[in-house]
Order: sequence, then structure tokens, then C-alpha cells
Amino acid sequence: MKKNQPKWLGTLLTYALMLLGAAIFAGPFLWMLSTSLKFPADQYTRTFIADPATLENYANLLRRLPELPIQMWNSFYLAALTTIGQVITCSMAAFAFAAVNFKGRNFLFTLLLITFVIPPQVTLIPNFIIFNWLGWVGTQLPLWVPAFWGGAFGTFLIRQYFLTIPRELAEAARMDGASLIRIFWDIYLPLAKPALAALALFTFLGSWNDLLHPLIYMPSDMQKTTITVGLSLFQTQYGGQWTIMMAGTVVSVLPIIILFFFTQKQFIQGIALSGVKR
Amino acid sequence: MQDGLKPLGREKIALWILLAPSMIGLLFGTIGSIIATTGISMFQWDLISPAHWVGLQNFVDLVTDAGFGEALVNTLVFSAMYVPGVIVISLLVALLLNTKVRGIGIFRTLFFLPSITSAVAVSLIFSWLYARNNGLLNYMIGSMGGAPVNWLGSDMIMYSVVIANIWGAVGEGMVIFLAGLQAIPKDYYEAATVDGAGGLAKFFNITLPLITPAIFFQTILSTINAFQAFEYIYMLTRRGGGDSTIPTIVFSVYREGFKWFNMGGASAQAMVLAVIITVLMLVYFQLEKKYVVYE
Amino acid sequence: MKRIAFVVLVIASLLLAACGNATADSQTSEDGVVTISFMMWGSPEELDVWNQVVADFEAQNPTINVEVDVSDWTSYWEKLNTNFAGGTPPDVFAMDAPLYMDWVTRDALLNLQPYIDANPTVLDGIYPITLEAYQLEDGYYGLPRDFQTIVLFYNEDMFDAAGLPYPDDTWTLETLREVAQQLTLDTNGDGVIDQWGFSTDLWDMELFWSEAIWSYGGEVISADHTQTLLGEGGAADAWQFIYDMAITDGSIPDPDTAGQFGGDPFDAGVSAMTTIGHWAVPQYATRGFNFDVAPFPAGPSVRATSVNSAGFVIAAESAHPDEAWQFIQFAIGPTGQTRLAELGFAIPVLQSIAESPVYLDQAIAINQQVFLDALDYAHPKPVFRGYDQWSTEVGDGFYTVWTGETTLADALAQIIPAADAVLAENQ
Repeated sequence: MKKNQPKWLGTLLTYALMLLGAAIFAGPFLWMLSTSLKFPADQYTRTFIADPATLENYANLLRRLPELPIQMWNSFYLAALTTIGQVITCSMAAFAFAAVNFKGRNFLFTLLLITFVIPPQVTLIPNFIIFNWLGWVGTQLPLWVPAFWGGAFGTFLIRQYFLTIPRELAEAARMDGASLIRIFWDIYLPLAKPALAALALFTFLGSWNDLLHPLIYMPSDMQKTTITVGLSLFQTQYGGQWTIMMAGTVVSVLPIIILFFFTQKQFIQGIALSGVKR
Repeated sequence: MQDGLKPLGREKIALWILLAPSMIGLLFGTIGSIIATTGISMFQWDLISPAHWVGLQNFVDLVTDAGFGEALVNTLVFSAMYVPGVIVISLLVALLLNTKVRGIGIFRTLFFLPSITSAVAVSLIFSWLYARNNGLLNYMIGSMGGAPVNWLGSDMIMYSVVIANIWGAVGEGMVIFLAGLQAIPKDYYEAATVDGAGGLAKFFNITLPLITPAIFFQTILSTINAFQAFEYIYMLTRRGGGDSTIPTIVFSVYREGFKWFNMGGASAQAMVLAVIITVLMLVYFQLEKKYVVYE
Repeated sequence: MKRIAFVVLVIASLLLAACGNATADSQTSEDGVVTISFMMWGSPEELDVWNQVVADFEAQNPTINVEVDVSDWTSYWEKLNTNFAGGTPPDVFAMDAPLYMDWVTRDALLNLQPYIDANPTVLDGIYPITLEAYQLEDGYYGLPRDFQTIVLFYNEDMFDAAGLPYPDDTWTLETLREVAQQLTLDTNGDGVIDQWGFSTDLWDMELFWSEAIWSYGGEVISADHTQTLLGEGGAADAWQFIYDMAITDGSIPDPDTAGQFGGDPFDAGVSAMTTIGHWAVPQYATRGFNFDVAPFPAGPSVRATSVNSAGFVIAAESAHPDEAWQFIQFAIGPTGQTRLAELGFAIPVLQSIAESPVYLDQAIAINQQVFLDALDYAHPKPVFRGYDQWSTEVGDGFYTVWTGETTLADALAQIIPAADAVLAENQ
């Protein structure tokens, strides 16, 4: 950009590009929103504004799926538990992998990454068999207990972040006689808040959107299942009830949007340092 | 990679406490994923009748399995286009949104929306976009005087699917790069300006090198996502009884195991996939040593 | 410290909530009550009706408790397979007739013949053709609970607008072709076709092409399931006919165009006719256009349509086969069948209910009798091992013909050997 060009031109251009991009990326979602407000007869119209508009899809949704609020609550606390489990255990392991020297460290970390790489379609059945052997099939346990024993993605993410924390801090604390746990708790964890927030968001999102695991492991008791399972029933073999499906999707997605909007400052700053600075 | 602290004396217990939960998870994961998949791949199992041992036969069969070969090629081609695409576009978007203009938070949220838009809604919208006769893209091309393109035809379908997947992944990539960009100290840019450097020079000499760690992280993530891409591809190319015109390995695994009742074969395919990704990751880690700049 | 206490409190309450819902419903008998598990696919409305059927059943059989587990179509098979693989199959579950053989040959199903022999009247009054798919040499391994016949649906509003008479039983496939051409229009004059005369699913055989083949005197597959007969005689003529309608006349929207409308242009109100089964009726009724049904048009050789059914089967390993049998018996009996008829998705297999006002005078006022009459000229949908893989070869193979990229001859030349290979593997 020439130095002579007025500043407002740059800002204008920026806004223009942002609007274009926003239209591209947010467009489908906005269409989804407007479809949920349309009458079923209009569901294939390509307009963004629902006209005539109606709230009947939401009413119908609640009528056909009265357990929706309960299911949202189920989804919520399962996601919350999963998130807590992951944040705690992944950060613990990440500290060990990033800051502590012990035998077999590289081997274990590599093993961890490999478990990450095998597609869920084939691990579904072995996992099911293990859970069955434990007697957990038919309960919600398989949905959140595994979150409390670590995970490849979370550990990798936090480890990358921990690697950027200057070693000098830990070594100085060491010379002051601090124990490993103390260093973890007082130095690394507080500095890692943004990365932890990032992990929390991704974990929550993943759990909230999970259809397969609640479906397989829980009986389809409408009271106990999650919102993804409840909404999946609207997807018939020759599906086409878009208006009500979109209403369901909007309902299930709004909490996430709210969550993102409020945390985006936190974790943008957070993933900032994951694997970036040292 | 740093060496780290050495646990002293009784601190070994502390180390164990830190690692214990993950060790359980690792045990579960190793058994449930690696060992189980490797094991099943050496059996013939239709999920109901008792399995019987076939050794490496499933792998041998893969060599002549046209469907698997096709899926493998599709996956590799897809990944080769998708990974660079995601990285470049996410970076550009992040550069765009790395400003302090008003309402930037809202814009960032808007750009993130694809990650939470239902795949079903996305598939319908993209089918409108790509339609040969009435599609939005062809409409725009037509009004500029061009000939309509058959986006969903066998020639173009791979590109169309790559575009759709990139579209869906930019939100998360943008977040990672935004973070990376914001961590670069402003004084570097100021110093460069003082030295008379222009915009492009700043980008190539300051921004790009310092963002390599984020590129590294994003590359690994995107590669794994590319190889496990399933949803959008399935949605856009789905035909009749649940099949897809561009099967990827993951789709092939699903189909082999759950529709054609050949769990052994499905596991063998998964093993091949895992090996490919692991090799790639090792390559990436080697490249990290060479190219990634930690300050 | 307070913050930590708060965090701990939050975690504890979450755990409590989770554990509160964690306990699985007890499967063991208490006070002699036996609990059986029943899995099926369906929408929320179907779940409601089945819960009612179960309630009626439990009222009649106080010692049996039925747990209903419903999923959407795709997830159903994943869940079912996973449960079987994990050793916890449901006692009773729903089966789609074409996939039936895959389950029988894996020894997953219980032979119901002993129960039928002990209750000889249980199959009385059930349309015989619906039973055919489930009957094997050594007996029945499942029984149908409802059936579907494919008929011609038409959009009355579009016919009125064009001033054309509605389809009736005099129609032949040629009539269909002519009228479809007349109803393929550009209604708003912008140079782009926005209404098609006819739309249907050309991937799976059930909705149109198997009927077309039979109508021309051809066959889909040899009786011993070893040969694909899609390229021979009548079948070849049938394909040519479909090709003419779709490509030459352009009166059938191609799959990509259909995809823009969610897959079913008739549902979207942009096509004048379609061939589909009764399950679409409740959906179409919400669409705001007037429609009715007519018999499947006759072909040069015969009039033919397809009949298919959803059925019930019992897991071979079920711990409570007797109770499971009682439930099935109830479902195909008068009470169960009445409830099903009220649902409006499918047609009861019990003749007395199907031919009664419960079915014939449903809330949605179309000519329900047509579906029943169709049984007179219906062929059962082929059922054989490897059906899924076989139909994938065929459906995918023809796909590029309908998009205009491949010729019919090339497609057939590629499909038939591939399909035969699948059959060979599954003998």
C-alpha cells in the first residue's frame, strides 16, 4: 500500500472483505436460521428472509419432542463433565511430557498420538466390548468417564503450549526448592489459562455435537438421552422435514455460539502461545 | 525439545500421579484401538458369527480391492488439496481479521459459524451452489459471460468437495492463526518500518517465520482431519442407499464393516490409514526441526 | 480457597447428576416380570405409536415388560450391529426385508417355525405375498409387520393447471411418458425448466426400475440369485424406456437437480408425478398441494409393482424367546395392526384390518384402496445375501447415466460383471 493512500481507504477495503467473507461463511447458517422460521411449504425457497415467517416449527419441535429441554440439560452436563475431565487430566499429562524428564517419555507420547490416528469406525466395536465387559453399556458412564483419563488431542495441545513457557521459570523455582507439583500448579497452570480455555471450548463442542456415542451406549430413553439423539429421529430414511430439523439445529447450536462469543477473546489469546513462542 | 526437570527422590510419586489418569487412558486406547484393530484385521468377522483367523489375508485382499484402491487415491488427492488450502485460506482470513476495527468480535464469530452449522443444512446449500442448471455459482459465471460448469460431475466433484471442506474448516484454522499473529511483538514491525520495510517485506521477514509454529500445529491437525474427512464428503456425494460417489478411506472402512459385514477387512483398511498418517506425522516432525522457528 | 471450594462443588453436583442417570434399567427378573428389549428405527411419531402398542401389550401380559429403543434409519443399523458384536443383541428387532438374508446367513435370527407350528392360526388372514420374503426352506425366521406397495402419486393442482385428466387404471407406461412430457414446463418463462412431469428415485430398484423391468417382462435377478439379469430382454427395453424419459425427453430431473430439492422433487412441489410407497403420505400431506394416487402404469407385457415389508425378528441368542414371540404375535394381531394403521405410514399385513375403515378411511383422504389392489399384481422385492453391496454396484453404476455422462450400453457393460461378482462372493 502506498504511503500516500488515506487511512480510510484501507479500513473500507478491510470492511468490504470482511463482509464478503462473513457472507460466505455465515451465509448457510443464516439460511438455516431463516428456514426454521418458514412454513413447511416454503422450505425450499432460497431466500434469506422468511416471509411469511412463523414460530410454528419451534412449537412443533417441542410438541413432537417434549423432552427437548431435558435433553439439552443432559447434553450440557455431559459436555461439562467431559470438559472438566479433559482439562484436568490432559494438563497433568502435558506437564509431564513437556517439562519433566523421564524414561520412555517419547515412546509414550508417540503411542498416545497413534491412538489418535485410528478411525473411530473401527474402534467403536472394541470399545463397546470393553465397556460391555465393565457393565457400563446402557448407562451414561462411557460418555464422560473416559474424559477423565486423558486424551491425545488435549494433551498434545497443552503440551505444545507448555513448551513455550520459558524453562528458566521452572529452573528458578526449582532452585527455591519447589516440588514438581508446586511448579505445575503455581507456574505452568496459571500461565496456561488461555490454552486451557481453548481446550475447554473444543472439548465442549465435541461432546455437545456427538451423536454416535450417546446413541450406541444409552438406551433411547427420551428422558436420559442427549439432544443430538433426540433430533436425529427427525432424520428419516427419505428425510425432508427441513423446517423442523433446522429449528432443532438452531436450538441445539445457540448455546455454543454464546459460548464462543464470550470465550473468543480468551482463547484467541490462548492458542496464541501454543507452539508459537518459546 | 528441552530436557526438562528431573524428578527428585520421592517426586517420582508426583510424576505417577500426574501421569496416572493418562496411563489408564493410554491402556484403554492401546487395547481398544491399536491392539483391537490390529487383531481384528487378522480375522474374518461378520460381527455375529464367531470370527476365524485368516492371518494377513485381509491385507492381501486389499491389494486387489478396487474399491479400497479408489478410496485410497481419493483420500490422498483430497488431502493434498485440502491441507494447503486450509492453511493458506485460514491464514489469509486471520490476517484480515487481525485488526482492531469495531465489531471485530462479531465478525470473528460469523467466520466461525461453519464449524457449528449442521452438516445437513450445509449439504443442501452446497447442492444449490453447485447445481448445474440453477446453481448460484453457475448463475454468477453466466452473468459474467461464462459457460456453466458441472460442479458435481465426475470431473469437478473432487474440487467441489475440497472447497466445501475448506469452507468448514477455516473457522478453526482462523482461530489458531489469529492467536499466532497476536503473539508477534509489535516492536518488530515498528523496527522494520523504521528501517524502511514495506508491507510485503514485513510479511515475509517477520510474520511468516514467526507464524511457522502455528502452521506446524495446523498442518498436523489438518492432515489428520483430511484423512478422516467423512461428513461433508458423504453429504455432498451421497447417493441412494447411503453410498458415496467419492468414497474416502474412512467411508470405505465404515461401509466395509457396517454394511458389508466384513469387520476384518475394515480393520485392515484402518491399519493402512493409520500407518500412512503416522508416517506423515514423522515427516512433519522432521520438518519441524528444520523449518519451525521458536523465538 | 473459596474458589476451589466452589469448583469442587460444581464438579460434585455434575457428577451427582450424571450418576443419578447412570444406572441401567435392570434387566433381571423381579417378581417374575420378564423384560425384553425391542429395537426399531423410526420417527418420533412412530415411537409414540409403538409405545402405545407396547402399552396395550403389557396390559394384556402383565408379566412381560418391553423396552422400546428407537433410532433413525442409519444409526439403527450401526447400533444393532454394535450390540450384536458386543454380545448384547436385542430380543426383538425390526428388519427390512431386503437385508433379511444378510442376517439369516449370519445365524443371527431365531427360527420361528416351532412357534408357528404351535399356533397354526397365527398367519391366517395375513396377505400371503408379504410372507414370501421371510419364508425359507426350514421355516420363517421373521414375520412382516406392515407392507408397502409402490403406486403412482400425482399432484392434482398441476394437472388442473394444465387441464389434463388425472391418471387412472387405464394408464400404460407410454401414457406416463407422454403426460410427463406435457407437464415438464417452464412455468415462469425465464427459459429454465422448473417443473418436471415425473420424478422418482432411480438408485434403488424399489421405487421405479424394478417395476419397469417386470412390466416389460424382464427380471432383475435369477431365481437362484447367481445372475444379474439387468441387460437381458425385457430388462434392456425397460432401461431404454427410462433413459428416453430421463435423457431424451428430459422429463425426469437428474439426481443432482433432485438433490437441490432435498432429494424428492414431488415433495418439494416441483414435479407432477412420482412413484413411491405409502410412507410418504403423511409427509406429502403437510406440503400444501392436493394429491392422490393411481395404480402403477401397465407395461407392454404386464402391470407390475413392487411390494416390500418391514418385519420383526428375534435374536437367536435371545434369553427370552417365548416372551419375544408373544410380542410379535401381538404386533401382527388385530390390536397391534389397528394401531399401526392409525399411524398412517404403512399398510397393515392383516387383511381384516387393511380392508377396514381403520385403514381405508384415514384422516388423509386419498384413495387408500389403490395400495391394497396393488397386491394383485405386485412382485416381492428381491431379497438375497449381499443385497446392499449388489445394489450399490448397480445404483452407483447407473448414476452417471442419469447425469448424462455415460451411455446406457457402457453402464450395463460395467455393472453386470461387477454385480455378478458380488453375487458370486455371497453364495
